[in-house]
Amino acid sequence: MQAAKPVVYVVDDDRSVRDALEDLLASVGIEVRTFASVRDFLDQGMAAAPGCLVLDVRMPGQGGLDFHRQMAELGLRLPTIFITGHGDIAMGVNAVKAGAIDFLAKPFRDQELIDAIQRGIALDETRRREEADAEELARRWATLNPGEQDVLRLIARGLLNKQVAGELGVSEITVKVRRGRVMRKMGARTLVDLVRMADRLHPPDGPTRER
Amino acid sequence: MTILRSRTRLRSPLPPVACAVAMAAIFAVDTLTDYAIAAAVFYTAVILAATPLLSGRAVIVLAAGCVALTLLSFFMTRGGSYEVGVINTGISIFAIAVTAYLGSRMMAAEAAAREAQDRLSRIARVTSVGALMAAIAHEINQPLAAIAASGGAGIRWLGQSPPNLERARRTLERIVDDAERASAVVGRLRSLARGEAPRREPFDLGAAVGEIIALSRDEIERAGIRLDLSIDEALPPVLADRVQIQQVVRNLVLNAVEAMAGTAAARTLAVAVACRPPQGVTLCVADTGPGLSAVAPEHLFAAFWTTKAEGLGLGLAISRTLVEANGGQIAAEAGSGGGALFRVTLPVAGGAS
Repeated sequence: MQAAKPVVYVVDDDRSVRDALEDLLASVGIEVRTFASVRDFLDQGMAAAPGCLVLDVRMPGQGGLDFHRQMAELGLRLPTIFITGHGDIAMGVNAVKAGAIDFLAKPFRDQELIDAIQRGIALDETRRREEADAEELARRWATLNPGEQDVLRLIARGLLNKQVAGELGVSEITVKVRRGRVMRKMGARTLVDLVRMADRLHPPDGPTRER
Repeated sequence: MTILRSRTRLRSPLPPVACAVAMAAIFAVDTLTDYAIAAAVFYTAVILAATPLLSGRAVIVLAAGCVALTLLSFFMTRGGSYEVGVINTGISIFAIAVTAYLGSRMMAAEAAAREAQDRLSRIARVTSVGALMAAIAHEINQPLAAIAASGGAGIRWLGQSPPNLERARRTLERIVDDAERASAVVGRLRSLARGEAPRREPFDLGAAVGEIIALSRDEIERAGIRLDLSIDEALPPVLADRVQIQQVVRNLVLNAVEAMAGTAAARTLAVAVACRPPQGVTLCVADTGPGLSAVAPEHLFAAFWTTKAEGLGLGLAISRTLVEANGGQIAAEAGSGGGALFRVTLPVAGGAS
């Protein structure tokens, strides 16, 4: 489902660190974009590809930790790895608690960073795939007519065809016909498949439409 | 208490003698006058005067001595009402005791305050050392991080088949540059720590500045900066440490180059050496960078204060230390081109200095 090549964004005010990280990631075939400040990074925008962010903690302008806190507000859900020349354990613990992938004190081993980046990319890929799946499911759900949506909802609750028919006040034949159409439109191969889709669309505890 | 005891060391022979004389006089007056004259109360003055010089125990001994003398006077005094004598002696003894008590309490409070102050200044010292260490660690960790990452990259470029020699070579070049940068940080710190005394000799400031400009030409050109150099003819020699002043010039030039790195406008570095008779010979380094508006003047030459992303904030602090050690002055002002202007003035050789 993912065709775009992952991109790693490096934000560090130190030019030699930026250059070195760009070179390191290029040497393992990872696409990199480097920025001297948070401002530059925001101005530049992001590619529509999975990726992760390597963020220096202390920078002129906005610092990394501060920016990380702000990312959720900005709708940025890029997995983040912190790097810092001030190795402070408490700072690292807080950053990881706040959702960072890792917190690396400079100088760090190249493999440590590459591993963390790969973890971050994998996480972002998973998230993007899940989001895309959810979108696709919602799209398919929207193609069902109200009668078909009712049938799907009741089947998902574990009701038999006959019970569904009784519940909706229609004939069992109608339920079977609608159910076939639901399977086809949702792209479900089995009943289990269909029930799982329904769960993802409307969690079982969520509100169900009552008559 | 420890502080009180340490203060007794300050005791010179004079105060004890003066004390003894005063006590003897009070004793004589107290004994020779009649009971109605409570001369013994003046022992409190002796105690008050002596308290700052004595330990707590010595104050008690002194007070006890005064009480003993008061009682002795009482028994030796012949004239006056016996009843008045008892009352006056009682009052005197009470006053002596209270004075001794309050005096020693006051001394203890003072000692505590002094101790707190010592502790505070020690904390301030430790904190600034801590901040210094953190700044140094950061400054050295940056190039180290770059070297470590580049090293990893180099190994990988060479490990490819076929090995990417061109990329590996560029990576190695960067490693060498970063190692130089780390060693420059160490060098800068070392010269700061040494605080070498200047060896002041007459030299031509124009020529010394010219050398530094020649040395820095590469950096100036690479940054796309136009150089505007003006050195007056027939400058009198200045009296200073040539190497230290050249360090200052290099600091100021690099400072100007870095200040202009972020500006889009035409970049001009103006360096001028001229003779300004009453003060001496002046060197002006002006840039067209963002200027000094964002910088509080009191911070400009302070150590570890910087607006720059890279750097310890030591450049200007070191420059000022060096210039002042050489009997000169350094000042910053807004330049005519909108940037900053640093003016260094050095004394002329053979002058009054």
